[in-house]
Amino acid sequence: MTSTLKGITLKGSAELVAEFFSFGINSILYQRGIYPPETFTRVTHYDMSLQLTTDPKLKNYLTNVVSQLKEWLFECTVQKLVLVITCLETNEVLERWQFDIECDKSAKESSAPREKSIKTIQDEIRSVIRQITATVTFLPLLETPCAFDLLVYTDKDLVVPDKWEESGPQIIDQSEEVRLRSFTTSIHKVNSMVAYKRTDSV
Amino acid sequence: MAEGGDVEWELSKENIQPLKRGRDISALHQALSQQQDGLSSAINQQRQAFESELRMYDGDDPLDVWDRYIKWTEQTFPQGGKESNLATLLERAVTRFTEEKKYHNDPRYVDLWIKFAETCPEPLDIYRYMQAQEIGVTQASLYIAWSEEYENQGNCRKADLVYQEGFKRGAEPHDKLLQFHKALQARVSRQVMMHVEEEEDSDDEPKEPERVCLADLRHKGKKKAIAPVNRTGPAIRSISGGLQSRGAPVLGNASNSRLVIFDENKSWMAPPTSRAKENEQRPEKWCDVKAPPPPKPTFQPFVEESDQPPTMTPCKINPAVNTVLSARKPCREETPLKRLQEHHQQQKEAESGKPQEQSMYCKELLLSGATEFCFEELRAERYFKKMAQESQEARGQKDQASGSAAN
Repeated sequence: MTSTLKGITLKGSAELVAEFFSFGINSILYQRGIYPPETFTRVTHYDMSLQLTTDPKLKNYLTNVVSQLKEWLFECTVQKLVLVITCLETNEVLERWQFDIECDKSAKESSAPREKSIKTIQDEIRSVIRQITATVTFLPLLETPCAFDLLVYTDKDLVVPDKWEESGPQIIDQSEEVRLRSFTTSIHKVNSMVAYKRTDSV
Repeated sequence: MAEGGDVEWELSKENIQPLKRGRDISALHQALSQQQDGLSSAINQQRQAFESELRMYDGDDPLDVWDRYIKWTEQTFPQGGKESNLATLLERAVTRFTEEKKYHNDPRYVDLWIKFAETCPEPLDIYRYMQAQEIGVTQASLYIAWSEEYENQGNCRKADLVYQEGFKRGAEPHDKLLQFHKALQARVSRQVMMHVEEEEDSDDEPKEPERVCLADLRHKGKKKAIAPVNRTGPAIRSISGGLQSRGAPVLGNASNSRLVIFDENKSWMAPPTSRAKENEQRPEKWCDVKAPPPPKPTFQPFVEESDQPPTMTPCKINPAVNTVLSARKPCREETPLKRLQEHHQQQKEAESGKPQEQSMYCKELLLSGATEFCFEELRAERYFKKMAQESQEARGQKDQASGSAAN
């Protein structure tokens, strides 16, 4: 009983992190206006209000990505998840949300659960998502219609699944980078960062 | 948190005004840390440097200094406000160059005008004025800002017409104008579609109010607090997605209204209260009732012997910023646009050779910035400039001398 509440296993950790990405990506898509606000619905999770998309295609896509991600997290083969926001017309990269994932590869499925309560982890996740919401204070306005893309960095020797293809890093030249908070489940550690096009001032 | 200093911006996120072009994060951190101890001397020094540069500049692009000064102000005062002097600065800057034809279609100048318009109560008037003065008429950004203003006010037809005008004048960059025009059309057509849809499936039941704040507000304690947070009418802006929320704008939720309307169809819940209560006063005339004078204290209040009432309330006023408030005089109400027009009028009169006031001192130089300079400051500026020049020359000579000695 206590072990499920107070400790964390590799599987549970992978699930928590995947869940964070699901909510985090939805949050970003909503905050940055990539999809129209009325295609989102409000849910309460992590003790806070979050926006989840209701667009069936997007939902489907995200579920696929997240379940794939969960697998990779479980195998500890994923290094980074990047959400790239590009201008629809010019394909120029305007924003880049990067989540670095540090996996503790010594954790095995059979190994004993780590000491960290789910509540503490969720508190940490909440402050990350809060910070994502707060970034509108300095991010530039996205004036043009934008599209988004998800990039996943994995270990080299991984077989690329059918629905994935290799891609370039899509880096913004002359970017401003802001580190956000990080959280850790004691097995996976996620560092967040946002990069945006530098303003030409000062 | 491990990232210690990085959370600074998050702690004061409510006090940061978002900028269209975003903020420089390092400038933001610096500004926020400096502002904890009032207007720091570093900021003042930099402002002073800009002010003197405005006056001393003798290159062929005086707009550049203004442009840098204004951008610096935007980044250094994240919360805007009177201290930043931004509105004054913008007004001075746009007024300063109204006569300089070479700047009229300079993107930087047009941007300043648009920023200026956004600080004005009636931006549309400013855009019209710009058009009349041929300022920015070949710049796409003017038409985009103008059209957005119309759209915000809900006048989509005019918003479209503005783009037509832009195309007619061949505004550049053409692609950008085209793109924004397309986006506008898409927004408008979607709105129309949704209205049609709404009418189709609108049964008699009223729409639920769609707009909800982050979470329901709950009251604490005994008091029943009611917080109506429904935005209505023009307060609902269509966001960049350009889609209006589907719910009909409501004038306050029914559950929020405190006003109970008497319904005569309802039967009496209880009989009218009887008058036979003991401690109830009957209503009577109040006009000649006087309040009893406040009772004199029965003791002598202690006053310290050395105590003297302060002759003046101590207050800290920064001479650089005029933050003293006074009641607004209704007769002297003037909009920035009026001032602009007056300025323009004066220029015209001057051109037509009408005799007018002429100051016999360098008034222009003293007043040209956002703050006023005094003669001594100007003289000091000139002196330092001369000194710097001389020391440079002296160094040059020394170099030459040492060079010849080596030979």
